[in-house]
Amino acid sequence: MANPAAETKLDPFAEWDDATLVLGIETSCDETSAAVVQGGRKILSNVIASQTDLHADYGGIVPEIAARAHIEALTPAIGVALLQADVTFWDIDAVAGTLGPGLVGCLLVGVAEAKSMAAVLDVPFVGVNHLEGHLYSAMLSDPPVQWPSLALIISGGHTMTVYVKDHGSYEMLGGTVDDAAGEAFDKVARFLGLDYPGGPEIDRLSLLGDPSAIRFPRAMSRDEGFDVSYSGLKTAVINHVRKMEASGAEVSVPDIAASFQQAAVEMQVGKTMAAAEHMGSERVLMCGGVAANSGLRSALATACEERSLPLYVPPIELCTDNAAMIAACGSAMLRAGNYTGLGASADPNLPLIR
Amino acid sequence: MLVLGIETSTPQASVAIGSEQGVIAGALVARGASHNEFLLPAIRWCLDETGLGFRSLGGIAVSLGPGLFTGTRAGVATAKALAQTLSVPIVGMASLDLLAYDIRYAPKTICAVLDARRSEVFHAFYRSSPGGIQRMTRYAVERPERLAIGIASRPEEVLMVGNGALLYREVFEELGSVAEMGTMSHSFPEARALVELALPRFFREDSDSLFDLKPLYLRHSAKRIEWDLIRGKTPA
Ligand SMILES: [Zn+2]
Repeated sequence: MANPAAETKLDPFAEWDDATLVLGIETSCDETSAAVVQGGRKILSNVIASQTDLHADYGGIVPEIAARAHIEALTPAIGVALLQADVTFWDIDAVAGTLGPGLVGCLLVGVAEAKSMAAVLDVPFVGVNHLEGHLYSAMLSDPPVQWPSLALIISGGHTMTVYVKDHGSYEMLGGTVDDAAGEAFDKVARFLGLDYPGGPEIDRLSLLGDPSAIRFPRAMSRDEGFDVSYSGLKTAVINHVRKMEASGAEVSVPDIAASFQQAAVEMQVGKTMAAAEHMGSERVLMCGGVAANSGLRSALATACEERSLPLYVPPIELCTDNAAMIAACGSAMLRAGNYTGLGASADPNLPLIR
Repeated sequence: MLVLGIETSTPQASVAIGSEQGVIAGALVARGASHNEFLLPAIRWCLDETGLGFRSLGGIAVSLGPGLFTGTRAGVATAKALAQTLSVPIVGMASLDLLAYDIRYAPKTICAVLDARRSEVFHAFYRSSPGGIQRMTRYAVERPERLAIGIASRPEEVLMVGNGALLYREVFEELGSVAEMGTMSHSFPEARALVELALPRFFREDSDSLFDLKPLYLRHSAKRIEWDLIRGKTPA
């Protein structure tokens, strides 16, 4: 059998141009998405089928249910993505699919389909790191970000601060030592009896509450590094509510939501800005689903303004999981001649830096 | 008409290409590479060795399980993507049918049994019929002890095939001469049988809807079962 890794027969530099069409496929978590991106910058289509409703009963994502939904939703998503982009399969120059990190059963569906399509079309398959994909969502917004840049990737599954020197060249500065930011928001929301997904609910209620009502601890604020901890904050909220209830005091959910969000945002923005200063970064990028949080957006905007640093936050639909960002990252990999063999498989723990 | 068959519902994965003249290429692996790693290089090899390309394929046949959820999905996802890209018809078949088809010349009733993990087996009963097999029961998942009771209550002798029969050999051997055990060579469903069994459906233009085709799970996710129990519902 031929070595699958040795299938790169094209000269990538000769092949690449701004008309290059990449089909992107993303199935790492609970969004089934397919997109067509031209030249790594222009979104021709970005179809996203969300499964949020399927998981609402369980208060969190159930991997097996998510994987089952992907295999049903992906075929139509790809069909619609091609239709909306007004192209056929045979116009596609490369197929990019998320290899990891994510839920293994979910990733596998997208990887299997992306590889199969690339094989039939006889075009390169590019296996994309989901986190790197998030970074490239900023290449699709207007104006696109430039490297180098400090980047905060913040979502339900990930929270990390990295310095992007150039395509494929990253320095990890810090991350969460326990829960991801979105995970902590969801857990606190669940404890407060809010609807799933809880992150947006906390954000909405925060606007109605007093952020200075309760002074929750800002974990690790005195530590030297750029790591954050959300678990301690979450526990502090739970302990506070239990104490209030035990003493018979009335619990104001909006005040708790606002105070929790305030503490989380202060901790995250503090560490992110410290990392930006440490690296002497000339710009800051925030991406990932939690970038939709209004408190975080405005606090980070203020902090960047004070330091005269341009802040890049892609529009919400590009911050949450989507295939356009995977296609954009795939395009950059294609341009760098970085292809993946057809024997590749999903890697649920794929690291951003190898 | 050339049909590509993909079977990945058990720890063994296989692919085969064939027509009404028979299978012309095939590959099989039961250890090492994951199904997802194995499939495309194996399909490519089958095509290369026979001097064909993807565009020579007139149809895609895929095993829908029942079997391992993740393994089956690797095969079904690959098959769906190939059929969608090539714009060719797709046909899904049950893994248990493939097992039974392989021993269709047996004069006895056939019971195809696959390991379903969590101390259960997937199974169905068949009898041979002119040109193939006829399924007599619905696809089921239950404990091997319950299946043994079901076999004991049947008037006829049964030939058992599949890795589920071998795994719970002691349970079924208690039935004595009523249940005969198949051999190792019939313990997994294979793509060869799938191609042969699917071909008539392509000729009859009895293919499946690409958009609706999904694995035959026979079981909800563990979380859903747990949830239904909490709410006092019986799992469907
Ligand atoms: Zn993500």
